[in-house]
Amino acid sequence: MVPVDNYLVLATVMFLCGTLGVLFRRNLIMVLMAIELMLNAVNLVFVAGSQALGNLDGQVMVFFIITVAACEAAVGLAMVIALFRRYGTIDTSFLRMLRG
Amino acid sequence: MTQQVLFYIFAALITLCSIGVITVRNPVTAAMYLVSDLFLLAGIYAMMQAHFVAAIQILVYAGAIVVLFIFVIMLLNLGPEARQRLKIPAPELAVLVITTIAFIGVAIMMTNGQPTVPVGALTPKAVQAAGGNTYVVGMVLFTKYLWPFELSSMLILLATIASVVIAKKDKAKAVKSTRKEQTLTSPAASSDCVEAAAPASLSNGKVVHGTR
Repeated sequence: MVPVDNYLVLATVMFLCGTLGVLFRRNLIMVLMAIELMLNAVNLVFVAGSQALGNLDGQVMVFFIITVAACEAAVGLAMVIALFRRYGTIDTSFLRMLRG
Repeated sequence: MTQQVLFYIFAALITLCSIGVITVRNPVTAAMYLVSDLFLLAGIYAMMQAHFVAAIQILVYAGAIVVLFIFVIMLLNLGPEARQRLKIPAPELAVLVITTIAFIGVAIMMTNGQPTVPVGALTPKAVQAAGGNTYVVGMVLFTKYLWPFELSSMLILLATIASVVIAKKDKAKAVKSTRKEQTLTSPAASSDCVEAAAPASLSNGKVVHGTR
């Protein structure tokens, strides 16, 4: 039986990797992949908590998070395709139409 | 003991793959790192006796989401990202520092504190005795969480429609040309055509301005 702290440390490392990816990558698909990484870190925390607390609600929550992640990936990638079609690039340094 | 050793092996591999996802320049390689990351996580879930989550992880994440990513990468024909000097703007650096500090704080609190929630009866052994992880999770999902479960089907329907609408071919140019004809023929052109054409021309002008 692995202590719950180990899972939390691993999830922290994964989440920080995801944050770094979202902040510093310029390719939009890479940004979406980094978001998936962060969602996975959260899933790991939920399952670890569910195991440590003897309560299965965490695992049901992971089911819902995976549903939301699938929807997010589908809509996000559709937006990437639409952006690429209109502007010919998915580099975030060129996509600054919303900049004031 | 073997579990502990296995966990450390898996954790080291997951860390390596996570770093790979965010550092590699080729998107296909990054997707491969992501897939191995998800498989290793499924292994950790299986080790924690969360069999249902492990199966869902492989089926949905590795089987569907990453395939979708690879499909889009192939569709857009993306090559390796051009090597650029990494500029780190101040707001992003601030976000990074604050996140790191918050995480370290949470980790310290979690390792030192005791759970304030009463520990439930559904430990892995009890779950195994009650009919297996998948059975018990299914029972919880279809009794306590039935309403959220039904709502999640609505969410999926909505996401399907939204992605079809967003990724559909842009008709702004066609609308623009018909609008010209309409204004020539009839001065009172229909207002929805004007509304549809205006943002397209505006944003096209903006992006030219932005790239220079």
